[in-house]
Order: sequence, then C-alpha cells, then structure tokens
Amino acid sequence: MAEERGFRSASGAPIALRRRQHSASCRELAVRGPRLQLRSLSAATSAVWLAAYGLFALSENSMVLSAAIFITLIGLIVYLHFVKIDQESLLVIGSLGIQVTSSYASGKESTTFIEIGQVKDVVINEAIHMQKVIYYLCILLQDPEDPQGVSEVVPLFQSSKPRLDCLIEVYKSCQEILEQRKTAPQSS
Amino acid sequence: NSPAPLPERAIYGFALFLGSWFGFILYVIWAYIPETWLFSLGLTYWPQKYWAVALPVYLLVAVGIGYILLFGINMMSTAPLNSTHTITDNYAKKQQQKKFQEEAIPALRDIPISEVNRMFFLPEK
Repeated sequence: MAEERGFRSASGAPIALRRRQHSASCRELAVRGPRLQLRSLSAATSAVWLAAYGLFALSENSMVLSAAIFITLIGLIVYLHFVKIDQESLLVIGSLGIQVTSSYASGKESTTFIEIGQVKDVVINEAIHMQKVIYYLCILLQDPEDPQGVSEVVPLFQSSKPRLDCLIEVYKSCQEILEQRKTAPQSS
Repeated sequence: NSPAPLPERAIYGFALFLGSWFGFILYVIWAYIPETWLFSLGLTYWPQKYWAVALPVYLLVAVGIGYILLFGINMMSTAPLNSTHTITDNYAKKQQQKKFQEEAIPALRDIPISEVNRMFFLPEK
C-alpha cells in the first residue's frame, strides 16, 4: 500500500513524500528531491565556458579551453556522484531497527542501519542552521549508562530538508511503529 | 550605578572633551605641517608621517574585518545539527524532579523533547 504526496523543502523546492506500508510493523518513507534541471546545468556549463573563453582571449593560450572542458566534465561527475542526493528514505522495522538510505544521482546508495535497542526516539527538533531556524527530523540514540540520556543525535533528510508539514507526517508514521515496542516489550 | 549626572562626571566629561580636542589639533598639526617647518621650530622628535595615514587605515580595515570575524565566530559557535546541545544541556540533565502534588501548579522544569513532540504533533483533535 503506497501513497505519494507533494510538499516543499525548506528552500522552496518541490519534494515528494512516498509512504509504503509493508506490514503492520514495517513502514518505508521516502523523500524524493527535484531532479537535476537541464537549464541549471546549461547555465553552469555556459558560465564556465564563457569565463574560459574570456581567459583565452586575454592570454592566447589554448590550454585554457581544454582545461575548461575537462573541469566541466569532472565537476559534473563529482557533483552527481558525491553531492546530488535524489532520494532519502527511512525504513522503520518495528522489532529490528531503522535503516536510512541516501540515493545519489549517479546511482550510488549509502545506507546506515540503527538497531532498535539503540533507538530512544524519533523527534522533530528545531535548530539554527546557516542564519535560519529549521525543523528537522532526528533519531535520538540511547545512552547505555543513563536510561534518560541521549548519547547521539542522527539528523535525517539533510539534503532535501522538508518543511514541518512533511515532517509531521513522517513523525506520526514513525511514532505509530515505535509505540508498538512499548506494548510488546518482552518478546525480544 | 545610575546614569544620572553628577559633578564628578561633568568634570571627567569636560576633561575628556578638552583632551580629545587637544589630541585632534596635535594630530592635524603633525599630519599637515611640513617637516622642515617643524624642525625649524626645534621640534624634531616626531614619528614618521607615514603613520599619519597608515594608522587610520589600519583602524578602518580592522573595523571592517571585525564585522566579518564576528559573523564567522557566531557561525562557528552554533551547535551543529547532530550535537546533543540542541536537545539538552548540563542544567537540564542535573535538574531534580519535584514530587507531583494534587491540585497544585506543577513545578517549573525542562521538559524532555520526546514529551514536547508528542504534545505538539500527535493529538489529532
């Protein structure tokens, strides 16, 4: 059972949240950001090539032009493989753990798994980030020594930065699953 | 410690006013009058005239850099998104829990973030 809704990111870009319920205690929430636009790619390439042509006109050195082409190609590959995140997804399995996956535009996927025993809670926190105050979803990890303490904070959806309405949907879905482990605590 | 006017403050203020005027006139004399004229008067021990321009420029550039530096220091001291300082701090961890009394206003305390979230975001009605 899957459903998809459109939202906005913190900077105004359109994003989509897709919710899939695999079973009663397993849910997958995926936030998909906007694809790389052709117009921004052409604008960046033209800007670099115009600057290189200007340098070539000044210096009469043709290496500048080939260097500009090289830089554009390498820069695009590095950007697609290391920077541009297409989709961030959260897979919550009630008795097992939480898996966070980031899929890059080049197809690379980077995954982190957090076991359910380490998860204290999933909360919406607000913090100051680059001259703005943003809401972001984060996983609080349990401190082994102190039952009330938080040892680490793992922020989620860092690159798509959804706004509060999308975060509330994700929060409610996660809390429905996390509450189940309180009602059935002794099974594992 | 009130900011009201007092006789001592009036005297300090006037002394500062005279002192700053004297310093300004001295600076203007040093900067504008040619060295030969000053030497002919017998006043030979002045700093180089280079400093008459250099010191104000240093001061203004320092003020400009200070703006950027303050901005940068603020950004560096902001806790990153993955730090526990955005959730709690030493005072909240060490606070004592007062016993709950019926029909009394609950004591002031730091509420944990999980409780706050449940209250804000979970109720449907």
